Amino acid sequence: MAKKTIRGLGPHTPVTNEIEEKAPVGKAASKPPSEGKNPRTTKPSPEGTEQVEGFQPRARLEGAEPEMTAPDTSALRDIAEASFGPPPAQLETVHGPDDRVQIKNTSAYPWRVHCSLLITAADNSSWIGTGWFIGPRTLITAGHVVYITNSGVPGRDGWVKRIQVMPGRNGSKLPYGSVTSTSFRSVTGWTQGGGENYDYGAIILPKPLGDTVGWFGFGVFSDADLKASMANISGYPGDQPSGTQWYDARKVDSVNTRKVYYDIDTYGGQSGSAVYRIINGGRYAVAIHAYGGPTTNSGTRIVTPVFNNMVVWKG
Amino acid sequence: MTKPGLVRGVVMDAGGRPVAGARVSFRSGPGPLPDIAALTGSDGTFALTAPFAGRYELAAFGDEGAPGTATVTVAQGETATVTLRLARRA
Repeated sequence: MAKKTIRGLGPHTPVTNEIEEKAPVGKAASKPPSEGKNPRTTKPSPEGTEQVEGFQPRARLEGAEPEMTAPDTSALRDIAEASFGPPPAQLETVHGPDDRVQIKNTSAYPWRVHCSLLITAADNSSWIGTGWFIGPRTLITAGHVVYITNSGVPGRDGWVKRIQVMPGRNGSKLPYGSVTSTSFRSVTGWTQGGGENYDYGAIILPKPLGDTVGWFGFGVFSDADLKASMANISGYPGDQPSGTQWYDARKVDSVNTRKVYYDIDTYGGQSGSAVYRIINGGRYAVAIHAYGGPTTNSGTRIVTPVFNNMVVWKG
Repeated sequence: MTKPGLVRGVVMDAGGRPVAGARVSFRSGPGPLPDIAALTGSDGTFALTAPFAGRYELAAFGDEGAPGTATVTVAQGETATVTLRLARRA
């Protein structure tokens, strides 16, 4: 598929990100979730996490800072760097104890909203990722799931060829079948710049599977709201038995105007997962998981321009 | 954009045969990396983009056998090669 960069040139017309650079987070706004048909919904806990057998959220409040503490010097560089240069930081997407638990009842809401993705790139290489419904035909995922930039591999960059979407997959079982999409969305901040802050996109399905499995709400929330929230992630990591869904939750670690950071354990294959909070029993995405980092993992924050694009893509 | 590094490799089973469909990703690296995993081709090969110069640990997971891991150092714009071997499960 050709790379289209001008508004109005076909199904892959990107949305400009120029306003985003100047825009703050934006006013609070949200779109509601839907639990679909016969949801058999798993009730969440009062703490804002999902209730899953064997899952114990860590007690430490990652975002809380005591009033009387010594200055945090952990982010300061070692004086030796002045002479010898920085040491290589090492990424670990599973930090410390691995708290992930496998989801077995993936045919129930909310687990069936999460989809295992099998991606075929322009060079026919294959990849795995995760996406989640926001409407009858629309899934949200990472930008690098639908559009590959600066890979260094001849023929790989650009829109992927196709993505097989498997809602609520559980190993070899596909409780809602699978559907293949060739219709994708992203933004120029990702497709032209490869900017981590704009790493989000959408998959448009030819069938309204979301009417059956339901979808997540999503919203723009304040810094204070997010930092007080438990963040939940479920997806399809590549280090577990093929096609199995795994869940973890933890307090949001920090936020900036474009990203949300958290110490939730993830692994390659979970790019595109919803980072969501639970409000009055409803699941609302606050970010799109995209990166593993040296001490925290991170997702693209849903701020007003992201929210507005998602509303358009939801249809 | 600067030219990224690459890690090209192959995943083998304990008997030295290439493994198709193995899941390969970075387990650790010098900076934040996309949380995606490659599936090996029918000849067991893969190519992962290494956007930062430095040391990367890779892991491969197949449907059979214990995961294979390897560590490789990648220079900016250069290609490193690696072989990942899935071990027999104890």
